[in-house]
Amino acid sequence: MTAQIELRNIDKYYGSFHALKGVRLTIEKGTFVALVGPSGCGKSTLLRSIAGLETITSGDIAIAGQNMTGVPPRRRDVAMVFQSYALYPHMTVEENLTYSLRLHGVGKAEARLKAGEVAATIGLSQLLGRYPRQLSGGQRQRVAMGRAIIRNPKAFLFDEPLSNLDAALRVQMRKEIRALHDRLGATSVYVTHDQIEAMTMADWVVVMRDGVIEQQGRPLDLYDKPVNRFVAGFIGSPAMNFLPATVTPDGQGLTLDGYGADRIPLASPAAPGQAVIAGMRPEHLRMAQGPASFHLEVGTIESTGSATYLASADGALQLVQSERADLRPGDRVGLEIDPARIHLFDPETSARI
Amino acid sequence: MTRPYTPWLLLLVALALAAVYLFPLYWMYVTSLKGSSEIFANPPTFWPVAPDPGVYPAVWARRNMPVFLSNSVIIAAGVTAITVILGTGCAYVLARYRNVWIDIGLFCVLMLQVLPASVMVTPLFVGFNQVGLLSYPRTAVVLAAAAKAMPFFVVLVRATFMSVPRELEEAALVDGNSRVGAFFTIVLPLARNGILVCAILTFMSSFGEYIYSKSIIQDPNLQPASVGLSGFLGPNSTDWNSIMAYAAIYVTPILAAFVILQRRIVAGLTSGALK
Repeated sequence: MTAQIELRNIDKYYGSFHALKGVRLTIEKGTFVALVGPSGCGKSTLLRSIAGLETITSGDIAIAGQNMTGVPPRRRDVAMVFQSYALYPHMTVEENLTYSLRLHGVGKAEARLKAGEVAATIGLSQLLGRYPRQLSGGQRQRVAMGRAIIRNPKAFLFDEPLSNLDAALRVQMRKEIRALHDRLGATSVYVTHDQIEAMTMADWVVVMRDGVIEQQGRPLDLYDKPVNRFVAGFIGSPAMNFLPATVTPDGQGLTLDGYGADRIPLASPAAPGQAVIAGMRPEHLRMAQGPASFHLEVGTIESTGSATYLASADGALQLVQSERADLRPGDRVGLEIDPARIHLFDPETSARI
Repeated sequence: MTRPYTPWLLLLVALALAAVYLFPLYWMYVTSLKGSSEIFANPPTFWPVAPDPGVYPAVWARRNMPVFLSNSVIIAAGVTAITVILGTGCAYVLARYRNVWIDIGLFCVLMLQVLPASVMVTPLFVGFNQVGLLSYPRTAVVLAAAAKAMPFFVVLVRATFMSVPRELEEAALVDGNSRVGAFFTIVLPLARNGILVCAILTFMSSFGEYIYSKSIIQDPNLQPASVGLSGFLGPNSTDWNSIMAYAAIYVTPILAAFVILQRRIVAGLTSGALK
């Protein structure tokens, strides 16, 4: 595998605001990489730096082995899909698609042919003569995609491309983008704040916070082994429960602070008496059939038919289960969890123990 | 459905003010058609008893109006050309960059708008004299009037540019265009309406430019129609119907152009470039 995009120690300041802090990232050729994080974490800035729309303060950017630091966007040979689609309003769909080709001196007839091909790929053949304002949101999204793929660029950059679509369309476009990526064998960098998008689409997920990469890895690795409490809380929906706990004197179990003296067994021993944060995913908690490890006093019950969401009155503990439950607020429910699925975090550093 | 509240009183006041402002226009046309005795009739007649349109060709020939009007057109065209070319670039920069120097620049531009032409004309005259520009008086007037027209143009066109989303330009950059190329193929076409409207307004206002022309241009063959009109007015002038005919000839084309274009002008000033 060769690196298609390499970021070495990228630093970016906006005035005195440190937006990117020593970011290092290697993106292999042909992979679909998602940059996720809460808003303001620097993921869009990083993407725009790769495109050349932001100048970085220090560090190096290489695309396909060539150093692109300081090179203007037009010579980087990357394509970008913007959140607002950024279709040129005064051009028809066909002109939008062929704009980059015309700039690169492709002949009219050839550009037309290519636009026809791309339009067929993304299902826009009927709409080539229309203007962007005459298209629906989903169609605009497709045109933006078409404008990117027509050039066969070294990398595709997506800046939250689905956030303006309704939920159903978003799920569909998610699949289409991923299918397109596979068909083209392209290298894609996809920015999103939606961890579901990142988890479902990407081969490699990069979680960012405050201009720093907190963790990167394969989606399920991030889910199974988050390196710190932030990543643990960010990946997975509904979010992981974090409960203050203390390791029992024998090091083999936990007692949850504020949930009585019930003992939860641990898969591997921990330092006896240590204060920890126990992370438990709502979908890993089960209602106990036999003796329970600990108890939940039900505060709210939400049922979607396929799943039931239970939460404590203070919202600190949530669980999801697929069986329906005949419960009422105030009921006490015994819970258990597979010891291997308990994550322990250091209360001071938030790092995984 | 409830009917929206209509501020009838305010509308009435506005109409009354418009009438006050438009009455002289009406009076100009009416007076131009009256005979010399009817002009001074008391009470005045609101419609000429014996309209005499013959005064128009007479004034046209006698006052050498083709020369005056073509000078007006030359000056207005020059002012518009300079304002549009320089002002568009200026407005774009002011719209796209944000820092202290841009704010200072914008402040200075607005400051220019505050200074009245009658205050500026003397220093300008002295300056132009120093550099020998007074030998080309029309050019001098074009420069002075363009400087005067610039702030208005820049401020309005800047607003137009600000309505063009930045992402469009960025998309063009990533698509392989340069900054200059993106400006010409993306931003300019989208801002075209706003720029066109401001250019028309600039042309119209500089068509009536008076103060700089009056002070700087001495040769009657180079003077615009506004100065030509004032030359008509003497302390003993009684030739009111000719004066009004002159004024009517001068004003009517501009008025007609405005009426024809007013829909576009109003639309261009109030709406963004994109829809």
